[in-house]
Amino acid sequence: MADKARSPLTAAQSELVSAPLQGKIWLEGIAGGGKTSVGVARVVTLLGQGVPAESILIFVPQRSLAQPYIAALRGWTAHRGGQVSVQTIGSLSLQMVETFWFLISGDAGFKRPQDLPNFLSLELAQYFMTRAIEPLVDERDYFNSVRIDRPRLYSQIVDNMNKAALVGFPISEIGSRLKSALASGVEQAHIFDDAQTCALAFRKYCLTHNLLDFSLQLEVFRDHVWAVQPARAYLRGRFKHLIVDGVEEDNPASHFLIHELLQSCESALIIYDRDAGFRRFLGADPDSARRLRDKCERKATLDETFVMEEAVAALGAGLGAQLGLSVKAEWDVDPAPALITEAHRYHPAMVDWVARQVETLVRERDVSPNDIVIVAPFMSDALRFGLADRLTQRGIPLRSHRPSRALRDEPAARTLLTLARLAHPHWNMPPTDFDIVFALMAAIKDLDLVRAKLLTEMLYRNGRLLPFAEMRSTAMQERITFDIGERYDRLAAWIDRYIDRDRGDAIDIFFRRLYGALLSRAGFGFHDDVDAGNTAQNLVDSARGFRWSLDFMSRYDEQIDLSQDYVKMVDRGVIANFYLRDWIADAEEGLLIAPAYTFLLNNRAVDYQFWLNIGSEGWSRRLYQPLTHPYVLSRGWPPGILWTEEDERSLSRETLGRLLLALTRRCRKAVYLGYSELSESGYEQRGLLLETIQSMLRRAAREGPNV
Amino acid sequence: MSLSPDFAFTQGSLQDFADCARRFELRFIRRMRYPALETQEPLQFEKRMRQGARFHKLVQQHLLGVPAEALTASLADDAELAGWWRNYLARGLSGLPAQRFSEITLQTHLAGRRLVAKYDLLALEPGGPAIIVDWKTGARVPSQSHLRARMQTIVYRYVLAQAGAHLYGGESIPPERIRMDYVYVAQGAERLSFAYSAAQMGEDEAQLSAMIAAIDGAEAFPLTNEERRCRFCSYRTLCDRGGAGRLEDFDLDEYADDEEDEAFMLDFDQIAEIEF
Repeated sequence: MADKARSPLTAAQSELVSAPLQGKIWLEGIAGGGKTSVGVARVVTLLGQGVPAESILIFVPQRSLAQPYIAALRGWTAHRGGQVSVQTIGSLSLQMVETFWFLISGDAGFKRPQDLPNFLSLELAQYFMTRAIEPLVDERDYFNSVRIDRPRLYSQIVDNMNKAALVGFPISEIGSRLKSALASGVEQAHIFDDAQTCALAFRKYCLTHNLLDFSLQLEVFRDHVWAVQPARAYLRGRFKHLIVDGVEEDNPASHFLIHELLQSCESALIIYDRDAGFRRFLGADPDSARRLRDKCERKATLDETFVMEEAVAALGAGLGAQLGLSVKAEWDVDPAPALITEAHRYHPAMVDWVARQVETLVRERDVSPNDIVIVAPFMSDALRFGLADRLTQRGIPLRSHRPSRALRDEPAARTLLTLARLAHPHWNMPPTDFDIVFALMAAIKDLDLVRAKLLTEMLYRNGRLLPFAEMRSTAMQERITFDIGERYDRLAAWIDRYIDRDRGDAIDIFFRRLYGALLSRAGFGFHDDVDAGNTAQNLVDSARGFRWSLDFMSRYDEQIDLSQDYVKMVDRGVIANFYLRDWIADAEEGLLIAPAYTFLLNNRAVDYQFWLNIGSEGWSRRLYQPLTHPYVLSRGWPPGILWTEEDERSLSRETLGRLLLALTRRCRKAVYLGYSELSESGYEQRGLLLETIQSMLRRAAREGPNV
Repeated sequence: MSLSPDFAFTQGSLQDFADCARRFELRFIRRMRYPALETQEPLQFEKRMRQGARFHKLVQQHLLGVPAEALTASLADDAELAGWWRNYLARGLSGLPAQRFSEITLQTHLAGRRLVAKYDLLALEPGGPAIIVDWKTGARVPSQSHLRARMQTIVYRYVLAQAGAHLYGGESIPPERIRMDYVYVAQGAERLSFAYSAAQMGEDEAQLSAMIAAIDGAEAFPLTNEERRCRFCSYRTLCDRGGAGRLEDFDLDEYADDEEDEAFMLDFDQIAEIEF
């Protein structure tokens, strides 16, 4: 963790940074112990000693974890030479498969090895999954007893395939592994059989159409690209110095690659965070990572915290111990000063309390908003809005991040999608009145809700916007104003002209044409609006990616109306569901509002943390995923062993314990607990976190002399 | 707003500034993305861009050890690209030193800023020539004087002289050893070459320093007076500078899109982010 309190480096850190160029170091310790600081300084030292930048590989499980390295490299303007490579297993395997495709595509089983590969983002994998297996699902009535929507169902099949590739077992074993551990009856067994059949059908579809979802990309990389000499020689010849950070959050496929590169590199620094591994549901495997320890000549430990004050450390250790983790609890240190809470009956009162406490910290105690984070297990739109609204009213700068967000929920994207439906009447997908009101408000500058409703009620007929002049009442026109009426007419006329010309543009071209010709012009809603421009560009990128991934399909005799299919899939939440550019916003200033795990994977410390909804079961319970299971499909779960209720309970306790340790190790001064008896939905809540805190405080009072 | 302290200048961003200071401001200071169409024929434009990108990828694959025959076999569906490829195979690499680095990025510092260049190909021989090759797939070969004044010519040679020592046996590359070749593969791999010298490097350094200083010290970023420069600029509707230009008037080789490389090859993760 790169922490503001870290510099200068301690003697132990400095010694590791300046260790001889030749040699492999395994560095482990608790979060906040200064390991990433060592990694960052080591990279700069390597460059300073003349190591070519191209020969350095920084390998991380998720790109957010590379931020300290990127910031340091960007800030080091004195460097002359090449560039360091920062990669994940996803990015590196994609580049390698793409580069060496024509050497391996035939052997890998693709039906058209001389055609280019088509790499599928997660959203496109779900789209093609839908195309490939939905007829099968409908015809054979698969998953008839599972009560979740299709996109979530398909995403779990994709998830199973990813797990197989990350862990390293054939996708043909998915069903048997799940059944042997989880099937408690015939019905459940059928569901897993269905999931297996669908996975195999999707794989066959991919091989036939030169499609590579993440699972196939990884398999092809590991089993075929790595086997060809030019590819292996390239990677081994290029990367002579490895910096691997967060290896415990990475998966066995990454560990395989690191293991292979360790055999040929000159130096390595592998950083392992003890008591972490909270990306297990994404395939993280700390036990697999730990095997790399034996491949390093030198082992080092950094266990002294640079972050936590004593009471916070006692709090984390106490909570961890209460949940059965093997951490040493310092019962002679009172955790109470690190814990601030107030009970509330209703949820909004708790949100009010949080906002007041933040204001006090910022205004009266001079705490920077950058040093405050508000986390919850899930961050609903209502909670996010409630917090943002109250904090904005108090003048607190904030930033908010959800890892995924549907593009259709962004006003600019919704507007473009609604206008696309208007401009393509042959789709037979006319927008609702509500969508038109919303689109008019967003598209026409200074048009308020009341007047947008009036325009819609009086001029939206049979899927068409009638001219302003059709509004018979002059009084009504005056109320709306002729200025707005003129801009409304320009919008309506543009759409009419588009329909008349029957352009049949690709949908991304339509979005761009509409944006450039009208919406970005003075008097319209997107003019000089950075957010609207960014959202529109994201939608264009998503739609273009969709088109590029599908336009080759005509070669396979599959005719698709790409534009209509795109809009349908966006509506269903299958595509345009991911918004990765938002990670960039994390570099900006302000208090952070985020789901707890998202904050952890930013790997930075703050002075104060607010944990909200501490009565929620969401702090410890897994998401409901009837078709998949991250533990049963991990390397550590022996095939054939039954997963029991007791396993689930102990998993919940262990997961929560690791989460709380990880949070407190990224907290310097205190944790505020947001508690309300009734949840956002109005239900009583008494989850494991609440129970654990109460037990720990009772135990600390009983056993701790100072409490 | 001002330019981010860790901003890295590239030939593309400097060319934007040279063409229109306001474009530079919108793109790099306000970081405003603006998806208006660049040309009146967007699909043909896109096809050209994708062909160009694929050609560059083919060369990279070839230089990393994928046999030419395997790559040639993949071009059956694109006669134009196949023609470029044949020209490359026939003359693209002729006379180049054997030590070759494709798709390599170098950086140096100037006036307190990073200056980055991403090369299609560097071919060097320690103690001998150091040649920069830039593949061009456009339909036209511009004049020597036009290319000489482009920021790409100025930045690429300068950065190699400053930052290429580790590729040249650890010794600084004497400017006189540096040459930049633009190779027009759609025109029979015709080559336009630009030698370098210590005097030229001094002039380039002064020009680049002055530009960076001007940007860092600027209080205003005025719109260009030369409206012809707006024809293919996606911000033109924001600036009220008319409609998109025709593709036939557009020089694709000057369409700078190298800014994304600034971020150290950051990936896109295909694993879903956490949904909590």
